[in-house]
Amino acid sequence: MDRMTIPIGPQHPLLKEPMSFNVTVEGERVLEATMRLGYVHRGIEKLAERRTYIQVVHLVERICGICSHVHTTTFCDAVESLLGLEVPRRAQYIRALLCELERVHSHLLWLGVLAKNVGFDTVFMYSWRDREIVLDIMEGLSGGRVSHAVNMIGGVRIDLDDEHVRGILERFDTLERQVDRALVLVEHERTLRARTQGVGVLTPEDVRRYCVVGPTARASGVDVDMRRDAPRPPYDELDVNVILHDAGDVWARTLVRTQETRESLRLCRNLLANLPEGPTAARARRRVPAGEAVARSEAPRGEVFYYVRSDGSDTPARLKVRTPTLPTLATLPGQLDGVAFADVPVVLAGVDLCIACADR
Amino acid sequence: MDRDAVVQALREALGDAVGEPRALPVDDLFVPLELSALREAVQLFQNELDIWHLSTITGLDDGEQIVLHYHFWHGSGLTLSVSLPYDQAEAPTLTDLIAGAGFYEREVAEMLGVAFAGLGEMAPLLLPDDWDEGPPLRHDADAEGGA
Repeated sequence: MDRMTIPIGPQHPLLKEPMSFNVTVEGERVLEATMRLGYVHRGIEKLAERRTYIQVVHLVERICGICSHVHTTTFCDAVESLLGLEVPRRAQYIRALLCELERVHSHLLWLGVLAKNVGFDTVFMYSWRDREIVLDIMEGLSGGRVSHAVNMIGGVRIDLDDEHVRGILERFDTLERQVDRALVLVEHERTLRARTQGVGVLTPEDVRRYCVVGPTARASGVDVDMRRDAPRPPYDELDVNVILHDAGDVWARTLVRTQETRESLRLCRNLLANLPEGPTAARARRRVPAGEAVARSEAPRGEVFYYVRSDGSDTPARLKVRTPTLPTLATLPGQLDGVAFADVPVVLAGVDLCIACADR
Repeated sequence: MDRDAVVQALREALGDAVGEPRALPVDDLFVPLELSALREAVQLFQNELDIWHLSTITGLDDGEQIVLHYHFWHGSGLTLSVSLPYDQAEAPTLTDLIAGAGFYEREVAEMLGVAFAGLGEMAPLLLPDDWDEGPPLRHDADAEGGA
């Protein structure tokens, strides 16, 4: 049978971000896949060396168009640790609330993308409709749907009053009902299972070899979650249930993410119920003492890593960001090896790629 | 395993190649290491200490040399730091031990001009195909855009 190489991307309807795959097929079977990143590389690490810490908060917010808040949270955490700054507890809770809301909207977005890619448009429309509720909540809190500009070094620039909390809790009632309905669909709908079970399998050994993180690792039974394993306040006060499945396929990833959505809503309720009184920011000096700091957080796609090196000025000497998509991308050629060509979109959607994150 | 025990195990296996560790403010320990001991340290991590997760590799130009930080995670952060002189910016690849190191090494190679011995594929990862201005994260590189 003749072999054929099919270029997918960099611009294509499958993913909303640019990335290039070359998939070699024999008939319907994929023999080999190669990829090329870099189409949205913005040189953010280099740019950070020419900007003040205050400006870099806004710069790293633009690494990702989905999990922008966890980037600023992790960056601020690293810088605050260099400053020896105690962030007020109320600010920590507000940061975590946004992080969990972001996880809910990211997972709902992902569920829609997966559903669209397998041709299940009903779930796509439901999940994106429900995601709007989360975006409305975040817009109400910060003024921004996906770029919130909530964080600053030393705390947050927003505060919640009783009316905010009441409004959020009312919307949560609807949201939880919808997520429960999606869970039932995802667990019991045979067509979704048929398209995802046994597709794009990663074994626990693959996860270790490629240092995969987040829901993709947890769907292969690898028990990692930075919220529990490296808890930065207030996660040390929260009881995070880590969702695990062991099949390692796209089906297991669907279950992990859908159940995590439910868990994040529970955490949000917990955060709102225990929101401490007090200030929302501590005053931070502009110049950061010389030194190095590392910070890790659990972004919607897994461990996000920041390294900051300061030379004592008001500008970072080096900023390093590793986003969770990058290690997952490295597993794609292996996951695509041998699948039916029609399953390529399912595999690509299954790992929840964020190309802008990976490219930076 | 706590990190003191890890440092102790590194010292026993590698002797003077292991420098004085320094703790970072948030849960991370930086252990300076001679480049020649890097692969042996990673093998020790994998075979005896059950440390397998490499978060990433940070490459940086500190004005005097190139420094590579290998950021591992084993319930807490542990970073192995090696230094490379400008005129011999070469390090061995870890990809045969940690498949996930490939992207990180390629990025360091592109951004800082470090050669990784044994790293097969060297097509551009993030930079354009026709990039000819040298490694952008070296301090002698000229970047667009002021603060």
